[in-house]
Amino acid sequence: MAHPIIRLKDVCKTYQMGEVNVMAVCNANLDIYPGEFLVIEGPSGSGKSTMMNMVGCLDIPTEGHIFLNGDDISEMDESDLAQIRGQTIGFIFQNFNLIATLTALENVMLPMTFQDVPHEERIVKAREVLELVGLGDRIGHKPTELSGGQQQRVAIARSLVNDPDVILADEPTGNLDSKTGINVMEFMKKLNREKHKTIIMVTHDQNLAKYADRVVYLKDGAIVKDTKNNHAHSSNPTSRRGESHA
Amino acid sequence: MRADEMRYSLQNLVHRKTRSFLTVLSILIGVMAIYALISFGLGINNYVNTLADEAGASMLFLMSKGAAAPGMDTNFYVTGADLDFVERINGVSQATGMYMGVGEIVSGKEKAYNFIAGLDPDSIDFIDRAMTVKVDKGRNLEDGDMNNVVLGYNYLLDDKIFKRGLRLGERVEINGEPFSIVGFYEEVGNPQDDGNVYLSFDMFESMFPDKADKFGYALIEADKGTDPEGLAKTIEDKLRKRRGEDVGKESFYVQTYADLLETFGTVIDVIVGMLILIALISVVVASVNIMNTMYTAVLERTKEIGIMKAIGARNEDILFIFIFEAGVLGMIGGVLGVLSGYLVSSAAGAIAAAVGYSALQPIFPWYLSAGCILFAFVVGAGSGVLPAMQASRQQPVDALRYE
Repeated sequence: MAHPIIRLKDVCKTYQMGEVNVMAVCNANLDIYPGEFLVIEGPSGSGKSTMMNMVGCLDIPTEGHIFLNGDDISEMDESDLAQIRGQTIGFIFQNFNLIATLTALENVMLPMTFQDVPHEERIVKAREVLELVGLGDRIGHKPTELSGGQQQRVAIARSLVNDPDVILADEPTGNLDSKTGINVMEFMKKLNREKHKTIIMVTHDQNLAKYADRVVYLKDGAIVKDTKNNHAHSSNPTSRRGESHA
Repeated sequence: MRADEMRYSLQNLVHRKTRSFLTVLSILIGVMAIYALISFGLGINNYVNTLADEAGASMLFLMSKGAAAPGMDTNFYVTGADLDFVERINGVSQATGMYMGVGEIVSGKEKAYNFIAGLDPDSIDFIDRAMTVKVDKGRNLEDGDMNNVVLGYNYLLDDKIFKRGLRLGERVEINGEPFSIVGFYEEVGNPQDDGNVYLSFDMFESMFPDKADKFGYALIEADKGTDPEGLAKTIEDKLRKRRGEDVGKESFYVQTYADLLETFGTVIDVIVGMLILIALISVVVASVNIMNTMYTAVLERTKEIGIMKAIGARNEDILFIFIFEAGVLGMIGGVLGVLSGYLVSSAAGAIAAAVGYSALQPIFPWYLSAGCILFAFVVGAGSGVLPAMQASRQQPVDALRYE
């Protein structure tokens, strides 16, 4: 049995809002395995964003542990964590989060910069992935000169360029029209099937669940349901134990 | 290399043109002032050193301790007997006195008032060597020159002392006496010396009978191989005893030429140093300005910092980006400051030359430009450290959430 690539163990996250402590996520246990297409679903306020931040190793839990490839991230120093995050996880955000002053090519080169990839190699690889997402003719454009769908494709290219095992997408279709949204989802599915990327997607859109082979439901900060989607074909059929907390 | 990070920094500077320009302007002004002041300070020092080299180390001056211009203290004078005494001191090669007075010089209907020096024609070579100037047109004063005069450089020029520059052989009146011009000195570089009138001893004594045998100051030359510093002490001691003055209350002092120039150089250094300190205040203000700009930039780009951290930027990457950006602001200010400082200094040097101070010229060594630019870069980068640290310590989650 494969080891989980990301493991949340008894994770809680509390925020201080004035004098009140708000528990955004409580007692979450989640194992994410290589090659999975996982959707984390829930209404707004259910703790999805907090969950995504922790799954993506952007945030450290108040209680419990998060393991990335078996290493406890709360024991890493921030710069090491950034480095490992840059190698292992590619992020796709709802509002694309491209850097406005940089061209598409430069945006895609950026993650490699932080991994000290040589300059020439950065250019070659960035071009490659931009061509992969169908933007080979747009590499010199700044984000403001691109449509929403094109911007999201640049963001996808950026998430792929370091060849990470995991792609973490936060409402990737939220700012796109439905047709473009479907294209993006098809592309993610392809990445999962053909490149064996582990895809973790956070959404409130129940329609997107059909692309996943596993769906985790969040409600009021707790995982209430963890189901395997029978319609999807997992590229890595391993046995999983979803733990439910009602 | 951090080429992409540098490009990102530069693009941000270009993106915020107006703000970058204003920030650059503030450091530009400080660097410009510093560059201009140092170029003048170096120029003056250079001139002083040239003088010292030309005059050689063996020249000594005997002059009044009073605050008046050399030779113009009427309570102090050296007599011919004093000089004979000095010349007999072991180590002294020769000594000559200089008469100093003030006179009215008349050419046609124009009048001018300037210093009149009385020289010993027999010591002309020695005087020229000590003063580092020589007669450049016509001839030196000679024994028996009674109504012949040698003039300073500025008398040659139109619109300087007289409307029309004077020529050799022309006639002028000095304190009512007619004179024929036999020579002109070369340019010294300051309006006082270049306006001097030179007469022979005999003529000076006949025109100023009450100053006869009362020299304003004296030039002394040490023998080759004699330590001029030690000789200056010896002359001071012996002359004090001869004149019956108390230790520390002498009316005169003996100084080597090198010392004299060094004192002058020190005074200039202190003045330039003070001015640079004032200019440094503007650099401090510029540094605060850069810091302010960078804090604004960090705040504005909080979300970008979050994005970069999410996609793998380490704290030191973020630190580098912002420090580099601040350093570049400083460096651009430095480069422009050096350029404008060069223009300002050159213009000021030209103006100084036009009003007669041709000795007051800036010099522009490469290390001054390089130093100023490096200084500006360091000030910029230094001002960026605190904002950059704030940027690098942002938590990715908080930064990403920032709108």
